[in-house]
Amino acid sequence: MRSPRLALGTVASLAVAIVLAGVTTAGAQKRGGTLRVAYGNEIAGLDFHVTPGYEMVWVATNIGCGLIGMTPEGKFVPDAAESWTISPDGLLYTFKLRKNVLFHDGTKVDAAAVKFTIERIMDPATRSSMRSFMDSVQSVEVLDPHTVQIRLKQPYAFMLHMLAAYRMGLVLASPAATQKYPPEDRRAGKPEAVVGCGPFRLVEWVKGAHLVMDRFDKYYEPGLPYLDRVMIRTIKDPVTQMAAFKAGEIDFIADFSADHVDTLRAQNPRAQIMTGKETTPMVAMMKVTVPADGKPPMAKERKPHAIFNDVRVRKAVGCYGIDRKEIVKIAFKGSATPWVGIIPPGTLDSVDVTHMCPYDPARAKALLAEAGYGPQRPLTFELMTNTEKSVFNVIATVIKEQMARIGVTANIRLVDKVSWMNVATQDGPFDMYVEDLASLLTVDQNTYLSASTASWNSTRHIDPKVDEYYVRYAREMDPVKRKAIAREFQEFSADKLYWNMISGSPFYQVAQPWMKDYVYQAEFKVLYKKVWLDR
Amino acid sequence: MRTYILRRLLQIVPTVLGITFVVFLMMRSVPGDPVVSLLGDAYTEEDAIKARAEFGLDKPIVVQYVIWLGKLVRGDWGASILTGRPVLQDVMIRLPVTLELIMLSMAVALVIAIPAGIIGALRQNTWADYSATTVAMIGVSIPEFFIGVLLLLVFSIGLGGFLPSSGWVYLPGTCPTMVCGSSLWGNVTHVLMPAFALGVGRAALLTRLLRASMLEVIRTEYVTTARAKGLAERPVVFKHALKNALIPTVTVMGLQVGFLIGGAIVVETLFAMPGLGTFGIDAIIARDYQQVQGFALITALAFVVINLLVDLTYTFLDPRIRYS
Repeated sequence: MRSPRLALGTVASLAVAIVLAGVTTAGAQKRGGTLRVAYGNEIAGLDFHVTPGYEMVWVATNIGCGLIGMTPEGKFVPDAAESWTISPDGLLYTFKLRKNVLFHDGTKVDAAAVKFTIERIMDPATRSSMRSFMDSVQSVEVLDPHTVQIRLKQPYAFMLHMLAAYRMGLVLASPAATQKYPPEDRRAGKPEAVVGCGPFRLVEWVKGAHLVMDRFDKYYEPGLPYLDRVMIRTIKDPVTQMAAFKAGEIDFIADFSADHVDTLRAQNPRAQIMTGKETTPMVAMMKVTVPADGKPPMAKERKPHAIFNDVRVRKAVGCYGIDRKEIVKIAFKGSATPWVGIIPPGTLDSVDVTHMCPYDPARAKALLAEAGYGPQRPLTFELMTNTEKSVFNVIATVIKEQMARIGVTANIRLVDKVSWMNVATQDGPFDMYVEDLASLLTVDQNTYLSASTASWNSTRHIDPKVDEYYVRYAREMDPVKRKAIAREFQEFSADKLYWNMISGSPFYQVAQPWMKDYVYQAEFKVLYKKVWLDR
Repeated sequence: MRTYILRRLLQIVPTVLGITFVVFLMMRSVPGDPVVSLLGDAYTEEDAIKARAEFGLDKPIVVQYVIWLGKLVRGDWGASILTGRPVLQDVMIRLPVTLELIMLSMAVALVIAIPAGIIGALRQNTWADYSATTVAMIGVSIPEFFIGVLLLLVFSIGLGGFLPSSGWVYLPGTCPTMVCGSSLWGNVTHVLMPAFALGVGRAALLTRLLRASMLEVIRTEYVTTARAKGLAERPVVFKHALKNALIPTVTVMGLQVGFLIGGAIVVETLFAMPGLGTFGIDAIIARDYQQVQGFALITALAFVVINLLVDLTYTFLDPRIRYS
């Protein structure tokens, strides 16, 4: 009962324009060696169900295994589950588990472990970032040691997507290790506590120094992985990353700065530079409501934001007043896609509604005048961005310049990432912010960032119609009808501009020519299982 | 002397406590707290309130400080709010890297500054003096990160990896973790560029200072007397003039430790070194209060202890100085 059309649709989000020098070389794989990897940011912790950050996800998907996986083409493939069925009403998912899958502590991956893991994620006390995606799950039943059944409250079209690839997907946890060690030990990366069933086992994590994973010899897939060891270091500065790459000190950069791609290419003509469709949105969000009494944060009683609650102003500033092509040309050297809507261009069921927001300063000025702004009453707002990526500041600066063209003053406030996160999540004061948010596999995955009730709904719109679109989309099992809902939703989004996208945000990975059989899957997965070294 | 050392050691306690308290207050005044980073995508206001209570962040600041201090007295430096890792353990892993970097960068500074300062003074207003002064001016003016990037471009990229661009190799027998490289040659090659990047700015400063001191000392009567008695130029310069001229230089060297720790943050980030500098800056950026306190404590301790040692070296440089 797998949905081939759904799977095919995912091609749009994951089909990659891979520039791979070392393509698959069947039968020639060499065993052994250490893969030296550079991350641009620190790993925040190693409790896979709880710790935030892509760097942790890229570790989790190698130490952990799940029920199912997903190929870059969007096809669902077995992992610990060798097969699965879905009931005709879409409410029962039954997974048949392999009998030879072991956790790194030697215990078996069985139906009880699957039930334990899902229930751990669903337990509010765990504070799992996957919890909101499990809202549809009613119960998990162990039918026999190797068969587990998940019962849903209502049909959920993205159940398999969620299990396979929302954040790191469902990463199974060893009940024995999880119960034996407290959450602090997992967060701290104690190897005995961080027990998965993936191709690599954790040897050591020293924050700020390295993370080391060794081959798990009892991994269920015979002969895999090929590598003896993966050693991950954090190198934050792109210049140092390039130097280390050029000198052959590292084999793979998991997240390379788009600004430096041309330089790296010129220095290393044989490097494998990988990128694909943009699945991360670059946004210029406008605050829609504020707490009615000014405090406390997140108050349910709302009042309109003084500037951007007026849709005419939102459209003047965010739609007609922003020249997306110019931003992309300056900030991304043309390598991103100008885009409008609620999901980026590479996400499943994304529809191009950019034509709804053509750059039209005259129209922007007219709308502003209609809303009461003009030379007599000039519009001034605060444009916040953060220091995490230099491109944010570049975009903010270009927007400031574009605003000046329509008689609007945007005052840029540059803050650090944590300050931005506090403001964005805690209903803090801002008028507009520039950021790139999470990578999105599906429209549904964006719920936690933009539904009216979501904690990360940083613009604080209160329009229930957005929530209705999400519910309709997630429960519609017919892909054609779902696509139609997605189109309608994106047109609605471009019209209301609760979510103001500027463009996609390109993502790059870089590998040495001797690193073979790595498959680019954007931020979603970084898997070393089939990688080998031809040095 | 013993009484003096004891008194100075006792003075360390209020100094360090003062520094840690100021840092504690400053960090709590900075917008943002670690809870949002901790919860990430799962953030809800309810969980945030619970997490703040869990980590004691909802208590008054002074109470939080007293709790931290109470644990510290018992040898507990606390655990990172974000990772749960013991702060003391992480500090001890990173301390050797930064200590070695700072010591070697100071050595680089002295190796450049002493001959340049002496030549500048002895050959005042000659091309040698002008060259030393000009180089010193350039050295003072160029920030560490710029020198570091230049070194990377030349020795790592330009010369095809002649020197490693990043990471760290420990001295044999000093590896503090399960997995790490350790070899003398590896250590030297890894520390060379960072130490030079950090040391060259100090070298410039010390050169100017030493030149000025030497100019003053070589014009004093006792140096003239030494020369009049027929002493060769070398012992006059090195035995009589330099030792006295070094006193202000040594004082400034001690004070420069603070700048070196600050510079280490930049250099360690650039060369991706697992030292205290990167530990400190990561902790500050993430608002990981426990780690910031650990960083403040260890750097304050290092600063006051090194300055105590500096004061003690005065007795070697000038035997007339006696502490009681």
